[in-house]
Order: sequence, then structure tokens, then C-alpha cells
Amino acid sequence: MTQIQQTQAREHPSSTQDVADIIMDAASAGHSLAITGNGTRCGFGNPVTASRAMALGGLDSVDFYDPEDLVIRVGAGLTLDALEAMLAAKGQYLPFEPPRYTGLYGTDGARSTVGGAVATALSGPRRILNGAVRDFVLGVEGVNGQGDIFKAGGRTMKNVTGYDLSKLLTGSCGTLAVLTAVTLKVLPAPRAEVTLIVPAQTLEEDAALFRTIRALPLGVGGLARRVSPSGQCEVLIRIEGTEPGVAGNRAVVEGLLQGREGARVVERTESAALWQDVRELTCLAPRADELVWRVNLPGTAMPAFVAEARRAGCISRFFVDWAGGIVFSTMRGVQPEVDVLRYRKMAEKIGAKAMLLRGPDAIRAQFGAFPPITAGLAALAGRTRAAFDPGGLLNPGRMTVQA
Amino acid sequence: MQMPHPSQDIISQRETLAAGLRQIVGSEWVISDEVERKPYQCDGITAYMAMPLLVVLPASTEEVRAVLRFCHERGVKVVPRGSGTSLSGGALPLEDGILLVTSRLCSVVEVDAPNRVARVQPGVPNIAISEAVSHLGLCYMPDPSSQLISTIGGNVAENAGGVHCLKYGVTADHILGLQLVLMTGELLQLGGAFLGASEGELDLMGVLTGSEGLLGVVTEIAVRLEPVPEVARVISMSFPSVEKACECVGAIIGVGVIPAGLEFMDRKVLDAVSVLIRERFDDRTEALLLCELDGTAVEVDALVHVVSDVARAQGAIELKVSTTEEERQRIWSSRKLAFSAIGKLCPDYYCTDGTIPRNKLPEVLNTMAELSEKYGLDYANCFHAGDGNLHPIIMYDAAKPGDLEKAEAFGADVLIACVNVGGVLSGEHGIGVEKRDLMTHQFTDVDLHQQQMLKCAFDPQELLNPGKVFPTACRCAEFGRMHVRGGALRFADIPRF
Repeated sequence: MTQIQQTQAREHPSSTQDVADIIMDAASAGHSLAITGNGTRCGFGNPVTASRAMALGGLDSVDFYDPEDLVIRVGAGLTLDALEAMLAAKGQYLPFEPPRYTGLYGTDGARSTVGGAVATALSGPRRILNGAVRDFVLGVEGVNGQGDIFKAGGRTMKNVTGYDLSKLLTGSCGTLAVLTAVTLKVLPAPRAEVTLIVPAQTLEEDAALFRTIRALPLGVGGLARRVSPSGQCEVLIRIEGTEPGVAGNRAVVEGLLQGREGARVVERTESAALWQDVRELTCLAPRADELVWRVNLPGTAMPAFVAEARRAGCISRFFVDWAGGIVFSTMRGVQPEVDVLRYRKMAEKIGAKAMLLRGPDAIRAQFGAFPPITAGLAALAGRTRAAFDPGGLLNPGRMTVQA
Repeated sequence: MQMPHPSQDIISQRETLAAGLRQIVGSEWVISDEVERKPYQCDGITAYMAMPLLVVLPASTEEVRAVLRFCHERGVKVVPRGSGTSLSGGALPLEDGILLVTSRLCSVVEVDAPNRVARVQPGVPNIAISEAVSHLGLCYMPDPSSQLISTIGGNVAENAGGVHCLKYGVTADHILGLQLVLMTGELLQLGGAFLGASEGELDLMGVLTGSEGLLGVVTEIAVRLEPVPEVARVISMSFPSVEKACECVGAIIGVGVIPAGLEFMDRKVLDAVSVLIRERFDDRTEALLLCELDGTAVEVDALVHVVSDVARAQGAIELKVSTTEEERQRIWSSRKLAFSAIGKLCPDYYCTDGTIPRNKLPEVLNTMAELSEKYGLDYANCFHAGDGNLHPIIMYDAAKPGDLEKAEAFGADVLIACVNVGGVLSGEHGIGVEKRDLMTHQFTDVDLHQQQMLKCAFDPQELLNPGKVFPTACRCAEFGRMHVRGGALRFADIPRF
């Protein structure tokens, strides 16, 4: 969905030095660059207007993997599928459970890259237990807008050696530098996983249940509320850990469900498939003409927010993840100009952050896909960008914000 | 230690500046008297000292803003400080700069238990957050060993770690939002008080954390709270060799267990400690590992079995597992007393904190033994084995001429050895002034240049904590004009401090 003519040259670097050369050539020729991995999530963020493009899928090296040290360094172009398969072979996983969201964008999720996951910094349902993408990026190598190759961070779990540019580049959507390699902290995958599926009650009651469960250290790595494929509104509770630990924690959670009839339990592959659907927003099943939103907010504010937004016609269908801390929704968008602003206002009123996950280029360009920020923060972000890419070559427009 | 040259012009304005600052924070909260300034002349690392121009103690965000604006307008440098427990000289004062002390910004602003978040001011001691929420069954996880005294603001500045960060992560992983005051006095809110509040923004909060007070002054912090683990048990495992203990660390993690803490002590530390705790360690023991496991009771019991089996297979001589909280505390006391026990063996010691990939432990420990011989100084080892964070304790006698210099050179060589095996100069103490001049061993000039450009985005006049972290000034004005191609040559003639 980037606004790039298909006829225009797309560069395919196969080394970091190639990336640097392409950037310096573009700089001297006055070109800007749209930066992608394999382009599976180009519909995320604001549309980029660039005169050339660079796709990093060729940078797919595995530089090292040290399972006993819980660390792996790979090229930004390696696919997430390849990385996850490699980790799974050693009983490990990516703790932030990166979503592809390619169902939304009509692209092939098997081609989504590690660089894209770090650049977009989207975390999946396990966020509530394990943390966000940023918490697992130990080091990066990148090329700035002047063609300088730099590294930041390292490969150790603890590191206070200079500014943590790795965190800054994570989620910067390629607007500061082109990520060429990332060093990630990984974790042993839980030995056991079960999901309790419980019929939903009112949003308030389910939000209260989420809080009760979250207040206890039960290894709960997923708390969502969705409509199932068969049309049932249900609460999903994923419990992870060792076999005996999961059995014990499951008994505790079942104790907390007193008075809720009809709970079912699924395990292993069935549980994993269920959460993949949640992670990929499959249960939202947005129609092609619908906008898709992702709103981060305090879990306690969620029920009232959803109720108000539904009354106002800003939410068509929705589901809730992160123990109530995130609402995914569709918007019919009969008058998107009006509805987008109205929904954003509603979110802003309670300090929530509303991200337009999918929408037509024109809408994202006009209103901005990311939550609006203050003029002061936008100015600081602009100065930060200039510290990396003073010419504004890299993914121009991607993270520009409406004041 | 070479610091930026103090401005005599600013120093000569001391009384005028004091008068202006008193207008902002009240007369008793600006310290200009020489005797009263003296306690502030160093932080946790007493080898470096300087008398601050003035000490200023604001009591609110608005006062912080006004103080910074005042200093910005007059070109006065500012060094932020919490409790002054930095072990790298991060809060070392400047003779021509004010010391901005956050100890009056010490309230827990809000505890939002349902959303598991607390908003706190920077001067709140780390431990006070957990104390404020313990009745709710919650805690703030990162626990640097200075946690009784060190402030959360300082923890943010240094991205503090602690014993539990292998499992629970470091400070940065527990911060959801920061209220930030720039050197100009401008107030900004980064992130917010819920999970994911910063998503869709550039992660300025992430880079602020661990920036050692060079980019801005944080006046409020939203931290994640976690449920207190139901049970914690510790296994003490003794090994006949350092190598065996090191291999066991990798083996535990290799079977998929992430302990809450995994600590290493060598024989020298154990001998020193055994005097204090009146407990003898087996004669064959050359190294001891303490492995803490936490979670629900069943989970922990299961993990204790797994780890015990691994330890036996790795050749552990003796295993002790705590069965009560009292036993757990007693087993931990050996680790907690380690540094004071070493303190009794020698007049002075010097401790640093390089971090390495875990599988390089034996290699780096051998290098340390060689260096000890080269410098003729004894040392002991006691460190966070789980995350490869070394704390070699180098023993010396400051009264002996040349001993301090030898100890510092020994420490620097250890850090360089850490970098050479893929590690870093600092795991949790920060660079400050102590390791500043070693930065070029870890980073190329291009790497450092990219970091310093960030300073230009936040504080182009370099008034905030200058002389720390980087071996050169950042010269924002010049960088801004430079067109870049290639790299290294650009930096050939930058004067070091």
C-alpha cells in the first residue's frame, strides 16, 4: 500500500554494506527510500511517499544462536517463521509473540520478517506476562540516513553502556535508520499450556474477572474476550508453565470462576491455534471496507469506553485482549472523516491511545495512523529523527503525526 | 579524570545565581555554604570528588522546570542526583554546575492496583514502592542491591538491575511512562500509566532509561507492579571447581528453567563470609551457586527437582535447599554479606561490573587470574552468574602509593577482556566518569557519534551532566553542519576530555 510506482526500482541489498551504499547513492541523487522487509505490513502506519524502495528480505543470515545464553542474532530480513522454527527446535520461543496482521493487509504472513517485527514493535497476547518487543531487543545494527553503519546495545541481558538506541529503533518504523541485524533475548517455551474457555458475561464482569486473575502470580499468558467462530462470546484464559505448575494454577483459576458455568479446556495444539487466531485478529473478521482500530487503555476504563463507542457507532465489532488493556475493533466508516476524529476524541478523553491499524491510504495520510501526540513531543521526535536521518530520506511520512 | 574545563565566569556568579534559585525553591533549599556542600562532593564512588557550585533541592515538577529554565537561560550546567549511590560517578558534581537533588520529590503519587501501576516521584527510594503496595499483594520487581537507599529516579537514569533481573528484567522493562523536563524547562509526557501507553510513539522513554542524566530530568515515573510470588526457595550448590559451577549455570538455563536469581561466589568470598556467618563450607568447594526459584508452591517444588538433578549431573558436591523462609534468608545472607566480608580482608577494594555472554565465564575468569598476577593484587569473585554480570572485587591498599592506580588499571583490563569476548563495559552501574574513557573499546567512533547526536536533539548546549558517559564533547553545532560520507576520518582530531 505504499505509494510507490511498481515500475520504480526496488533495491534488494544482500549485505549491510549494500544498504549503506544504496542510502548514500539515494542521498546524492536526492531520492528518498521506502524501507521494507518483504513488505507484508506496508499497510501499517502512515503511507510512505518515496521515490525509491529498498526491501531487506535478502539480509536473512543467522549470525549466532546460543540457546544456553538465551540469545540469537539474525539479519533483519529473516522471516519470523524461520526464526520461530529454529527456536522451537531448541524448546525456545520469542516471548513477545509477534503478530503478523497480514490477514488485515491481504499479504503473506509466512514472509513477515524479524526486522519488520522489531520496526513495528507489535506485541501479541503474551505481552501481559512476558513484556513487549522492546524488552527483548538487546542490540541492533543499523544504517542511518547518511549511510553510516552503526551498532548499539549488545548481546547481554544487562547492559548500561551508552544510550540504549536499540529501544529507540524498536518501533521507529524505519524512520531513524535501516535495521540490518537484531540481537534478541529469547526464552524457554513453557512446557505446558492450557486454555480455559468460559462463556462471557457483561464487559464489566469480565473486566473484573481479568483483574482478579491478574492480581495473582498464576503464569497467565493470555486473557482475552472474543466472539468465537460459532458466534459465542467467550473469555479465554491461557495458563503456562511446567506440567505440575499449570495443573496447580489451573485449579486456582477454576476456583476463581465459581458461578460461571460451561467452562471448557483446550490444550497444546488446540490452545496454540486458538491464540494464533487472537494474535492475528482472525476473530475480528473485518470486511474489506472496514477500518480496523487498536486502542491501548487502562483495563478498568475499557468497559465504559467500549459502551460509549458502540453507542456512538464508532465500534462495529470488537474484541478485547491483554486482560482488557487493548480493544481491537472495526469501524464501518460511512463518514470516516467524522468517525475517525470522534473515536480518537473518545480515546483521548480517557488518556487511551487509538491506532488506526488498517484503513485507506488517504484516511491514514490525512488523520495519521498513530495516536496523536503533543506538539512538544512531536518536535522532540522530529529532532530525534534529524539526529539519525537529517535529510529525511528513510520512510518519509511513516510516523509523521497530525498536531 | 579529566572533566570539562570549569567556567570561572560562572563560578564567580555563585552568590547571584544562589539568590535567583532561592526565589524559585525557597531560601533553605539552595545550599551555598561550603561546609554544607561538602557531603555532596562525590557519589557512591569516592575516588572522584568535586565541589558543586550550588546544591538545589526542588520540591515539585514546577520548581524543577523553573530551575532548569533559569540555568538554561544563564548557561549554567546541571548535574541531577538522587541519593548519590551511583557506582560510576554518574552524579559527580561540577565546580561550575549546580547539583539538582531530587530527594524532596519523594511521594508515591498514585497506586492504581486494578491496573497494576504506580505513579511515583523520582526521589522515592526503590524499596518504598514495594512497601507502599505490599498490602495489596503487589511489588515493584527490579531490586538493585542499593534498593534501601537508591531512588527510582536514579534507577531510571542507570537502568538499574539487581539479583532478579534474569527472570524479571531490568528497570526499563518495568517503566510505562515518564514525565520529563528538558533542559529548557519544557515539560513532556512519554507513555502513560498503562501497558502499551507508549505504543505508536518513538520510544524516547526507552532511550531515556539508562541515559545517566544526560538527556533530561525525570519528575514522575509510572511503574508496573507485579503480584508477589507466592513462594521463593533457594538452592545452594557447591562445586569442586569454578568451571563446573559455570557449566552448571548454562545447564540450568539449557533445560528451560529461568531462576529468579542465580549467583556465583568463589572460594575467597566463601572464606571471608564463613567468618561472618560462622559456617564452614566443605573443603572441596571451590565455587558456590545460589539458585532462587519462585512462583506458586507446586511450580517451585517441580523446579527445585529439575535444578537439583541438573546440579548433581554437573558434579555438585553438596546441595542445600531452603524449606522455610527463614532458611532462605539464612542461605542468602552469605551473598548479601559478601562485599562487607571482603572489606574486612583488605583496606580497600574496587569493584566493577562488566557483563559477558555466559559461556565465556571460564575464559574471562582465567584472564582475571592472569591479571591478578600481572598487577600483584588479589581479587575475589562474586557475581550475577545468570545474566553474566561480573563483579570482580579487586583488593588494594589506598595508603600504598600506586596501589589505587594499579587497581584501576586491573579493573579496566577486566572490562576490556569482557568487551573482547562480546560483552559490555557495564551491566548495571553505568559508565559515568569511571568507564567513560573505555567507551572506545566497545564502540567505534561512528557508533559513539550516532549516540551523541541524540544529545543534540535533547540538550544541544550540553548543559546536562556534561563530561559523563562519552569521552568527547558532542559539539552539536558542528555535527549539524557536517555532511557525512565514509566515517572514521571525521573524528580523527576530536579532542578528548
